[in-house]
Parts: sequence; structure tokens; C-alpha cells
Amino acid sequence: MAIVVGYVPRPEGQAALDRAIEEATLRGTRLVVLNVSRGDALVDPRYASAADWDAVKAKLDASGVEHEVAQAIEARDPADQLLRVAEETNAELIVIGLRRRTPVGKLIMGSAAQTVLLEAEAPVLAVKAPKE
Amino acid sequence: MSSTPTATATQKEGRSEYGVALLLLVLGGWAIVDGLSLTDTASRGPVSAKTMPIVVGVLLVAMAVLLVIDLARGGRGEAEGGEDVDLSHGSDWRTIGLLVGAFVANALLIERVGWPISGAILFFGTTFALGARHYVRMALISILLSVGSWYLFFLGLDIKLPVGLLKGIL
Amino acid sequence: MDGINALIDGFGTALTPVNLLYAVIGVVLGTAIGVLPGIGPAMTIALLLPLTLRLEATQAFIMFAGIYYGGMYGGSTTSILLNTPGESASVITAIEGNKMAKRGRGAAALATAAIGSFIAGTIGTLGLALLAPEIVKLAIKLGAPDKFAIMLLAFIAVTTVLGSSKIRGLASLGIGLLIGTIGIDRSAGGQQRLTLGIPQLADGIDVVVVAVGLFAVGEALWVAAHLRRGHAEVVKVDGARMGREDWRRSWKPWLRGTAIGFPFGAIPAGGAEIPTFLSYALERKLSKHPEEFGHGAIEGVAGPEATNNASAAGGLVPLLTLGIPTTATAAVMLGAFQSYGIDPGPRLLSDHADLVWALIASLFIGNTILLALNLPLATVWAKLLNIPRPYLYSGILFFASIGAYATNTSAFDLWLLLIIGILGFFMRRYGLPVVPAIIGIILGPVAEYQLRQALQISDGQLSGLVNTPFSVTVYVIAVILVVAPVVIDRIRSSRAGDGDGDGTHHVPHLTPQSANQEGQ
Repeated sequence: MAIVVGYVPRPEGQAALDRAIEEATLRGTRLVVLNVSRGDALVDPRYASAADWDAVKAKLDASGVEHEVAQAIEARDPADQLLRVAEETNAELIVIGLRRRTPVGKLIMGSAAQTVLLEAEAPVLAVKAPKE
Repeated sequence: MSSTPTATATQKEGRSEYGVALLLLVLGGWAIVDGLSLTDTASRGPVSAKTMPIVVGVLLVAMAVLLVIDLARGGRGEAEGGEDVDLSHGSDWRTIGLLVGAFVANALLIERVGWPISGAILFFGTTFALGARHYVRMALISILLSVGSWYLFFLGLDIKLPVGLLKGIL
Repeated sequence: MDGINALIDGFGTALTPVNLLYAVIGVVLGTAIGVLPGIGPAMTIALLLPLTLRLEATQAFIMFAGIYYGGMYGGSTTSILLNTPGESASVITAIEGNKMAKRGRGAAALATAAIGSFIAGTIGTLGLALLAPEIVKLAIKLGAPDKFAIMLLAFIAVTTVLGSSKIRGLASLGIGLLIGTIGIDRSAGGQQRLTLGIPQLADGIDVVVVAVGLFAVGEALWVAAHLRRGHAEVVKVDGARMGREDWRRSWKPWLRGTAIGFPFGAIPAGGAEIPTFLSYALERKLSKHPEEFGHGAIEGVAGPEATNNASAAGGLVPLLTLGIPTTATAAVMLGAFQSYGIDPGPRLLSDHADLVWALIASLFIGNTILLALNLPLATVWAKLLNIPRPYLYSGILFFASIGAYATNTSAFDLWLLLIIGILGFFMRRYGLPVVPAIIGIILGPVAEYQLRQALQISDGQLSGLVNTPFSVTVYVIAVILVVAPVVIDRIRSSRAGDGDGDGTHHVPHLTPQSANQEGQ
């Protein structure tokens, strides 16, 4: 059993990570942190830089929870990758960050979060970044 | 570098380079045959209509021969690099096939169904070929681009692209 | 000093609100395109040709001027922010610029590149304005044999200097000449040549279709077949702007870079990678901080960037005075002139003085706009890199198709575009440089015409080709261009003790494999 969190180097990703650490501490389970990208643009702001990724690892080490981190660039959809990892690790909870969006914006942009919510077997905890 | 074949993979690639020589030979032969079939009436001086095709044909045939010699001695054409080019894997023929397919569809359809539709098919098809899978977003951008460009050409540049099926609507 | 007066008139034309707007559009578009991976200025101008053909020639060229400098600048912005093997001319900038950015000196690197480009571009354009009328005074006296000799020199130079294999360069030139021959031979008898009986080919293949096919479709197919996955990391631009010390270390490299770049750009087949490399080597030698080179030395950004832009300005000298393009971008611009029915060459400056001086004036203006826009906007440009590759390359194919169709509103051109695009793909695949082909297509018919003229004047005597001191000199230069590398190669290989093919080996760093890319 594990908690799987999809991390993005943004406020909502940060919020998701913080919340996932809390949950993992409470439940005493292993935490799997995932940062994935389709790798189809020259630059993907959702893909953590080396420095950023180090900060995530440092935070996890400091929290004392048992954890595992994985970063990957794969042709498939990031949501699918998250779901697959959740299945493989037999996740009891998936934590994702949610951007604040209007319904129309959502329609045009599609969303990884939606795919995860619709297709995940495990319960999904969706976290938004705190309002400024 | 081009002159040092290393792995067997490059050797296999090398064989297909003889195809380039063959293409040059065919093009050169065509130019020479076509040049010889011309009559040189109405031209003053030694440079008639024939001269250019024959000279170019001879150049191409000569390069075909030299290329074969170069290849036999182990020369290799250097594939072109670039910001977004990853030469570590071979050419992705499936993507190329799909792209050409979308292109051909546009060429066949443009005068039948009009640019707003054929252009959208072109854009949708090429983004699909290149690996995008957000179908809603792809469709919206495709339609926006093809209809938008139709209006841009019509209103801004006074070029009437085929309107086809959407006649009367746009 | 008649150049100066004409230039002032040119500013009068270029500074009208509408023309200024086109200059801004050109600069913004050029920079955006230069930043985007896989799209160079040559492709941009090719893609815009069909759109601009409805504009007045002056406005189109004002816009092209903006794209010309903007594209170059955009390329260097990306190479500082990301360490990508970009356009051949900015390879050197990437070495030191990216290292500087990683050390937190990104803002200073961008600034020295921007200011250096501005200074070099301005001095280079001034050089162009002063030099062009003088060269034209000489060039106007040239007869058909001289012009033919110059074209032959251009052919030889572009095939031997660019790219690593002469055979492949010449093969590419041959393909270009072949395509250029297709159609009715207008000057001798009006027979159809190489048309296969297809009526649409009787008028020849439109240069727009060829340029778009080779540079846009061919390039997009090539990149699509080898699409890179994964990311480059954008370095955050922060840290201090240029300090006093940076200025002190930059101004000499800027000026030296300009001095190196301009003449290299001005000689046919100059290209930008050799002079930028020279500038880098020179700065490294002269620097008081040679230990910093390779770790982000500001001189290593300032010098090559200035060189790069000065050589772009220099490249316009042979284009505007002799009608000889030295780079892919210049070749496409020459195609644009032809599409407007304007024949670039010695008469251009007298027949279309307004156009030329407006173009030169807008180069100055574009340069200034670039400096004003780019320093504050660098991070905005970097956002363009987030566009997913599928949309980017689909966009290229989309605009290529619409442009080719709109040129003659005929679906036949779409088929031609596809065939030429596939040809462009295989040329890139097998290392046949694209630039000799496009130069062959554009200059081939002109060269044929000059040859015919020369031999008619001499009544068929071949000596008619070498009866002027000028043409003899040009042929001597051409022979040196062919023989010198072979001799150098022999000497080098006899020292190294390995006999090797046709001189395909070369100095590794000096000619990056992107040498035949449509760099600038």
C-alpha cells in the first residue's frame, strides 16, 4: 500500500506534495512522488528542474516518511503514467494538484486531473493551491 | 564524422545512399535526353536551348559516379542536425507516412470541399501524426486556423481560397 | 557621400507609420521565430512570401529586414537561455552564454548579446550603406562575361565552403540547376524544357513553391522523423545586469567581432559559423581572463554575437549589389525580389533606389527596435518554447500549404510542394546541403542568360568568357577556392599519415554538422 502524488513545480503541485506528506505521516504509509512529462515541447514548466527536484527530495527526507521519487519523460499521457504507477503500487490514495480554472478553460485545455478523477481505482484527493 | 563508418547500423544506412546516386543518375539522364530532343533553331551563338539541360545532366551523372566511388571508399552523407532533431534513432517512417497522408488528403480535397474543411483536416491530421492526443483541443485549433486563415486571405489579401461545401455560410 | 543623402530619403520612407508598423511586425515575428526551435529566418521569409506578395514591395522588404535581424537575435536568446545546439551561427554563443546564465549572469549575457548585436548591426548596416554605392559603381561596368564569372564563383564557393562533402554540395547544386531549367526557355526559341508535357510546368516552378518546399516542408518532415523527446532546461534570468566591469570587457570584443563578421559576410559563401569561431578564438587569445573561457566568459558571448550580426549585414552587400546570395536567407530574399519582378544586381540601386534605401533604413530601425524590445522581453520569448512540438510543426505544414496554394490558386502546386518537400527531406537525410540547391534554382537561369550573352558578343569564341581582367581574376579566385582545400588536405593528411577520400574529414569544431542548416 502506498500514497501516490503527482508533483508539478507549481503552487498547486507544492500544495499536493505537502498534503500527501501529511497523509503519509498520518497513515504511516509509503509515499511515491511522481513528476512526468510527455516531452513534446522544448520546455515543459511542469517538469521539475534538477534544483527543484532536489528540493522535493530534501523536503521528503526532512519529513521522515518512507518515500520513493520518480521522474520520467514518456510519450504517453502524464495522467496515464500516474494511474499506472498507482495501480502498480496498489495505491490507497492518489493526491493531485488542481489549478483554478473556469469551465470553458477546462473544456479547451483538457486536463490530466480529469482523467485521473474519472479513471482511478483508488480514492483521489484533489488539492488546490492556497489563494494568495 | 562522415568518413568513418563505425557500427553495422551505419553500414546498412550506407547502402541506401546508393539510392541517392541512382536518383542523380536518373535526373541527369532525363536532363540529357530532354536536352537532346530540343531543336536549336532561333538561337545565335553556341549556347542554345540544349546547352543548359545537357550541362546540368552531365554534372548530375558525374556526381552520381563520384558519389558511388565515395560511398565505396566509405564516405557517408552526414544527416543534418538541429535544435529539435534527435539522430540517435532512425527515421520514424510511420510519422512521415501519416504526415504525407494528411498532406495528400488536403491536396485532393481542397477544391472539392474547400480550404476551411481540408485545411482543418490537414492540421488535425498532422498534429495527430506528430503525437498530439488532446482531440478536443486539436479539433478546435484546426477549425479556428483554417476558417481564420480563409477569412484572413479573403478580407486581408483579397485571395479567394476555395470555399467548397461551406459556400454561403462563410 | 550620395549614399548618405539617399539613406536619409530612405529613412523618410521607412518612418511613415504604416512602414514602421511593418518593421515592428517583422522584428517581433522574426524574434519569435528565431526563438522557436526548428524554424529559421529563411523558412520564415519563405512562408511569408505568399502573404507579402500582395503588399507593396517596399513594405514587404521592410518586414523582411526585421525578420532578418530579429531571427538572428532570437536564435541567440534561446542559446543563452537553453543549451541547445541551435542555428549554426549561434553555436558559439551557446557555449559561453549558457554557462554565464547558469552562473546567475543570464541578464548580463543577454545584455551583452543584445547590445553587441545592436552595435555590430548598426556599424554593419552603415558599412553596407557606404559600400554598396561604391561597389555598384564598379559593378555597373561589368559585362556579361564578368557576371557569368561571378555566378560561377558563387556556385563554386557555395558548394565547396559550405557542408563537408564537395560531391554532395555539387550534386545539390545540380538538382537546383535542374529545377531552375524546368519551363519555357524564354531567351532562345521558347521551347519547353524538362516539363514532361505537363502544362502547369511550362511557366517553370514558382520560386515560392520551391523555397517553401525545401525550407518549410522538407525541414518539417525531417524534424518530424527524428523528433526529439524531452526537455532542455530554461535557465532563470536573474542576477545583475551588465556592470561597469562587463562593459569594460565587452566593448572591444563587440568592435573586433564587427570587423571580423562584416567582410566574411560580404564575400560569397561566407556564412556565419567560420567568422564566429574566429572571433571566439581571438577573444580567448586576447582575454585577460582566459581561464574563464568554457565557464562563461563574457567576451565569448560579446565577440561572436557581434560577429554574427555584422556578417548578416555584410551578406546583404553581394545580394544588393551583385544579386548574389551568400546564405539561405539571402537566397530566399533574392527569390522574393524576383517574385516582384525586380532583378537584383548592379542596376538595382539605380532602378529601385527608393526600395533599397528604405530597406537599408529599416535595417537601422529594426535594429533599434530589437534593442528596445528584447532586453525586457527575453523571458516572454522563452515562453514560446512551451508550445508542444506537434502544434509547431503542424503549423509549419499548414502555412506552407496555404501559401503554396495561394500563389497560383492551384492544387497542382500542392503536389509540387509535396514532391519538393520530400526531396528536401532526403537531401537532409543523406547530407546534401540545401543552400546550393536553392542558389542553383535562383541563379541558374540568370547564369545561363549571361553565358549566352557573353558568347553571342564574342560570336561563339570561348575566349569571350575570359576577355576582361575582372573575369580572369574571378576565375583565378574560383580555382584557388577549389584547389586550396585539396592542397591543405594533402599536406595535413600526409602529416597525419592517413590518405582519405575526397577531403570529407574536417576540423571537428569549426564546421558543426549543422553547416548546411538554414542558419541565418
